[in-house]
Amino acid sequence: MLAEQYAAIKRDLDDKGIIFSFSGYLSEGILYSLGEALREKMTLEETDGPTVRRVFSVFVEQMQNIIRYSAEKVMGSSAKPVELSAGMVIIGMEGDKVFIVCGNTVLNTDVPRLKERLDYLKGLDKDAIKTYYREQLRESPDEGSRGANIGLIEIARRASEPIDYDFHRMDEEKSFFCLKVRI
Amino acid sequence: MEPLKIPATGRTPEVDFDFAAGTLRLSGESYPDDVATFFGPVFAALRAFLAEPSDAPVRFDMELLYFNSSSAKALMNIFQMLETAAREGRPIAVTWCYEENDESMQELGEDFAEDLHHVSFTLKQVPADGAP
Repeated sequence: MLAEQYAAIKRDLDDKGIIFSFSGYLSEGILYSLGEALREKMTLEETDGPTVRRVFSVFVEQMQNIIRYSAEKVMGSSAKPVELSAGMVIIGMEGDKVFIVCGNTVLNTDVPRLKERLDYLKGLDKDAIKTYYREQLRESPDEGSRGANIGLIEIARRASEPIDYDFHRMDEEKSFFCLKVRI
Repeated sequence: MEPLKIPATGRTPEVDFDFAAGTLRLSGESYPDDVATFFGPVFAALRAFLAEPSDAPVRFDMELLYFNSSSAKALMNIFQMLETAAREGRPIAVTWCYEENDESMQELGEDFAEDLHHVSFTLKQVPADGAP
């Protein structure tokens, strides 16, 4: 029963081309370990350096978005401050393309602004994304945004197809946000 | 001025600033968990160095393989400091190295170069060493 149950989950992941998945609390330490595993796997498959770095770059930006902006967090400070943010990351293959999906909860009040940003990015072609990146590089970060707005632009820039996103309303307060990027 | 040397870690670059010789170098990868903590001392040392009146040429070698978007902001900050000093007459030459076939890093170099008018900026292709 136990093995059957988990074999079914495993089969479902395999059928979707998923080679790598993590769901739970994410931190910078987990980002680092998962990132290393991802790079090792791709290098073993003799993926060329620039492609590995492109996938890795999207992975890092997606993970850091969850760590910074997930609406489900545990904060604590022992010797070193810890920030655990709930979310999921899935990496797989569709045909000859790598895809990365990230999911996390966001506050409903943040949805319109995020949607507006993503729609804007989706509407830009490669050259326009490049120009937008250059503009944002010179801007100071938005209020409430740690790091930079350019994380999403970096993701769109490395993607080989327009980014895909979706929101699923969970309750009065929160929605589940998903971002899928093909590289 | 004392040199600034910080060895590379898994996610922060090697910093090798030999201020007396005027040769500065950043190499490796940069995606620190806290950008401000890592780059704070780098900015401070560079700012102090560029504030000293001097006509001695400065060479900055950027040999980064990968950096995340928050590090890009930090690099922009470094380039702005260099550009300001160059505008005031300091001869500053930046070499941006990227591995062959790495169009992303080549383009990122071009992104930064766009804002540099007084710094002499060179894009340099280097052979891939096989390590991603």
